[in-house]
Amino acid sequence: MTVGRYSRCFAMFLAVAAALDAQPANYSFQDAQAFLKEHCQVCHQGASPAGGFDLRQTAGAGSIRSEAARWSSVALRVKNGEMPPAGAPALTASLREQFTTWVTAAVREGACGTGAIPAASGIRRLNREEYAATLRDLLDLQVDLTSSLPADGAGGEGFDNSGETLFLSPLLLEKYMKTAQFAMDASAKEYKSREKIFVARPGGGVSQEQAAREILKSFLPRAFRRPVSPDDLAQYLTLYRAARKQGQDFEPAILFTLRAVLVSPRFLFLVEPANNSGDMRRIDAYSLASRLSYFLQGSMPDELLVDIAAAGKLHEPAVVRELIPVLMRREQTIEFAKRFVDQWLRVRQLDTDKAPDAKLFPAWTTDEDLRSDIRLQPALFFYEILKRDLSILNLIDSSQTVVTKKLARHMGETIKATTDQQPQWLDLPAGSTRGGLLGMPAVLAVASYPYRTSPVLRGAWILEAILGTPPPPPPANVPALEKQASDEGPKSVREMLTQHRADPACASCHSRIDPLGFALENYDFIGRWRDQDAGKPIDNRGELPDGTSVAGPQSLKAALLERKDLFVRNLTGKMLGYALGRGLTLQDSCTVDRIVAELKENDYRAQKLLELIVLSTPFQYQPPATGRSKGGKQ
Amino acid sequence: MKLSRRTLLRGAGVGLGLPWLEAMMPSTARAQAAAPRSPVRMAVLYMPNGVNTAHWYPEGVGRDFKLSTTLEPLGGLNDQIMVLSNLWNAAAKGGDGHYCKESAILTCATIKKTPGVDLANGTSMDQLAAQRLGEHTPLPSLELGIAPVAVGVDLAVGYTRIYGSYISWSNANTPLAREVNPRGVYERLYRAGTAQNGDAAKLDTLLLDRVLGDAKRLRAEVGAADSARLDEYLSTVRSIEQRVQRASSGTKRDWKPRAQLKPEAAPPEQPGSHEEHSRLMLDMIATAFQSDTTRISTFMFGNAVSNVSFRFLDGVSLGHHDTSHHGKAEDKLRQYQLVNRWHVAQYAYLLRKLQAMKEGEATVLDNSMILFGSALSDGDTHSPRKLPLILGGRGGGRIDSGQHLKYTEDTPLANLYVSMLDAFGAPVERFADSTGPLPGVLV
Repeated sequence: MTVGRYSRCFAMFLAVAAALDAQPANYSFQDAQAFLKEHCQVCHQGASPAGGFDLRQTAGAGSIRSEAARWSSVALRVKNGEMPPAGAPALTASLREQFTTWVTAAVREGACGTGAIPAASGIRRLNREEYAATLRDLLDLQVDLTSSLPADGAGGEGFDNSGETLFLSPLLLEKYMKTAQFAMDASAKEYKSREKIFVARPGGGVSQEQAAREILKSFLPRAFRRPVSPDDLAQYLTLYRAARKQGQDFEPAILFTLRAVLVSPRFLFLVEPANNSGDMRRIDAYSLASRLSYFLQGSMPDELLVDIAAAGKLHEPAVVRELIPVLMRREQTIEFAKRFVDQWLRVRQLDTDKAPDAKLFPAWTTDEDLRSDIRLQPALFFYEILKRDLSILNLIDSSQTVVTKKLARHMGETIKATTDQQPQWLDLPAGSTRGGLLGMPAVLAVASYPYRTSPVLRGAWILEAILGTPPPPPPANVPALEKQASDEGPKSVREMLTQHRADPACASCHSRIDPLGFALENYDFIGRWRDQDAGKPIDNRGELPDGTSVAGPQSLKAALLERKDLFVRNLTGKMLGYALGRGLTLQDSCTVDRIVAELKENDYRAQKLLELIVLSTPFQYQPPATGRSKGGKQ
Repeated sequence: MKLSRRTLLRGAGVGLGLPWLEAMMPSTARAQAAAPRSPVRMAVLYMPNGVNTAHWYPEGVGRDFKLSTTLEPLGGLNDQIMVLSNLWNAAAKGGDGHYCKESAILTCATIKKTPGVDLANGTSMDQLAAQRLGEHTPLPSLELGIAPVAVGVDLAVGYTRIYGSYISWSNANTPLAREVNPRGVYERLYRAGTAQNGDAAKLDTLLLDRVLGDAKRLRAEVGAADSARLDEYLSTVRSIEQRVQRASSGTKRDWKPRAQLKPEAAPPEQPGSHEEHSRLMLDMIATAFQSDTTRISTFMFGNAVSNVSFRFLDGVSLGHHDTSHHGKAEDKLRQYQLVNRWHVAQYAYLLRKLQAMKEGEATVLDNSMILFGSALSDGDTHSPRKLPLILGGRGGGRIDSGQHLKYTEDTPLANLYVSMLDAFGAPVERFADSTGPLPGVLV
């Protein structure tokens, strides 16, 4: 019997409260003040208040706006049970819940009064997938260079394209140098790459110097993703000459010079010219082309985007509206869907610590086709939704899915897939439970243990990935399930969790988590359908905190669709964070609100979501200059 | 729909192969005369998720101690190791269960709670040593791991998982990327340790000068907030430039190692199992130390909260992190202990390997300090007290090994680092919250 961290009793408030219960009515600023006074004042006052936080800082009504970050941090610490600290009188779940729900709503309301304000996106390094794709497109080189670099960590909204966490280290720079050399050597041998690079050749009245100049004139703006100055060109021409002086022939000297281009910060980083004015302003056309291209194509802007940018039209709504469907029909959109979905849903973990157990599910290691069918299904489904401009609510439930014959067999479905060569977009049979992400083996597996299901893990996964309301960490010193149960002999997971929820402190969280997971119990740890587990019939029933009864996947999806606002808001926030390559600010949440409202008016169409993000203030604008260095070293 | 699923899935694809290996002459020409005294090496092997405390601590203190069941794989090495009991990391006592502790194991700093934008830890003790003495070897230090950086932000606790994925920090804001592919490590060691011919070094220098120029110009164009990233770039390029110059001139090399790397000894790219992978990475540390390609290394058996499956061990049915949350349940505690013991066995493997490498009258192990341990004691309560730690090797005769040293429970972990840095030849007056050297460690 296994119990993970989420199986512990959460004796505290969950953000989930806001998700599945009604908002507390009649809570006011005065109530929040009374709460702080009663539970926090002892330590947080006087000449040296604990942690540098003095209640006077949040005493005035205006502090909700002027001290929004402080309020948010107070709410988070109360929510997670870190405050009041151990030793202080414990707070009931509902007290915490009322306070933090009110703070979150009030802070947001305060922030949105001023209208959308962009945050600094900052210079950011290409992550390894972007880097490999960019080299591929820049050199027309059909070699996957991804594995030549170490993986990048994630920040912000949970994606590995967040500028704030894309560090540089000597190891990385070494790898960039080595990869650049490899790429240039490979390009020298590829016909298509050579065509792309050697746009001019010496001879017939063209000197080597002139040819070099033409080559650099064509290559530099593409590599740096914007026009280059004559001075920039001269600098690289000087490098070419130096290489010639070192005894390099024309071609090796060119390849060497381009190798330097590939290690330059202008290539490795997305850099946007600073806004030195005191007002926010629209970013320049080439920066916008790069933002758009790395968002939706995961690579450098192509000729189409550069041309539109050069014509000064890329920021026009009508142009964006026309452009998005064009981009969505391209194959690169699969890459975009994969990077986004893999990280949003965490299915990337199936490659590492969530890989299904080899003994219990040997096919994962022996059948590469089935593995990739399972692994890629959520991303390909998302891709189809984007391409076909369907409602994003299809992600919750849908009458279609993406399968191969083999995958359909694994799922036990009578879907009319005709081939194993390529996944197909197909109608699900009537009465199928496989519509939407929650019917997909990859999702069901990543929200399980590698060797068995867990209603608690699946419930927590839904709260985090689908509804955007992750449960707080379990408190320390709570007895594990089996300890409580040991007096009365072995029990099923359901019996143990039922007993667990009998404790009111535990119930406050588990009543929100468990029913969501139980509804999916008909799927085993790798997403196969089952009616029995260990000889006992599956019990897929549960009751949500608001009294809604759920039984099985379809009624769960219906319950989630009832809460579609939460889902749409969560997906929009994730997508905006991914698009901007940074964590969202309080101001950005106002943009999210606006997009959610407009989406609702547009049948939740997927391409509309992209369009609204691309046209949003944080995507199009730079904040005014602050003149202040943030997080700087030296 | 037309696409290549396999290409999409692999992400690895063709890889870089080893063209440069074949092309490169196994030149070992170094003008430097060998210094007589072998240098001291230092490695830290980090085990995530703490230990089953009931089976960790040895019986008896001082020179007469008996290994516990978890430490049994170290049998026969008693005189080569020093078991350190009861140290604690005060800076890691707050925060969440894992990131706050595990990220601080070598920094003894309190990390900042953030999804990423204002990441802050401290400089780790291995990097302090590398910054002081790293110039004597082709690579200042070597950071290794098994798992790539963990995905995403842990929304439940509000920390980016980056914290749990790095123990080496070159400064408070910069974790150091790790290599997880043994073949990649070998290639890197080989390349770093092989003297470049003069022309190639000259070209590399030209290239680096050019991109430095780009970075300086760019720095003038961007806003103040962005200049920090470019400073990071500038200092990284400079460090590589210095390395290129050192490699071509041979200066600063203060000792000639007895072993050389051979290109044909490169390990496989895709290790078959977790155990094979771990051992290959440990082999790389041994190789790097023996060839003096670096004298400093850190290795992570897994990221913080690692739940890698240990079902390959007899009697274990769970993932690593699952066993650590035992809730005092007997069966889980038993499995937890088996997982701990497996890690100790890998540590013993490295110690024995270094012991078998002769270096004059002594062995590489004699000239090394190999610290092994976890940032937590009991993983169920996430305690940063009574940390499980073992120091192997004699540190070139400076470490008084063959003891179980038991301290009072308020003794800072940082004190150990003060002593280790001293033995390494990079003495410091203070490190983080240290109160002095750790008594009994140094001869």
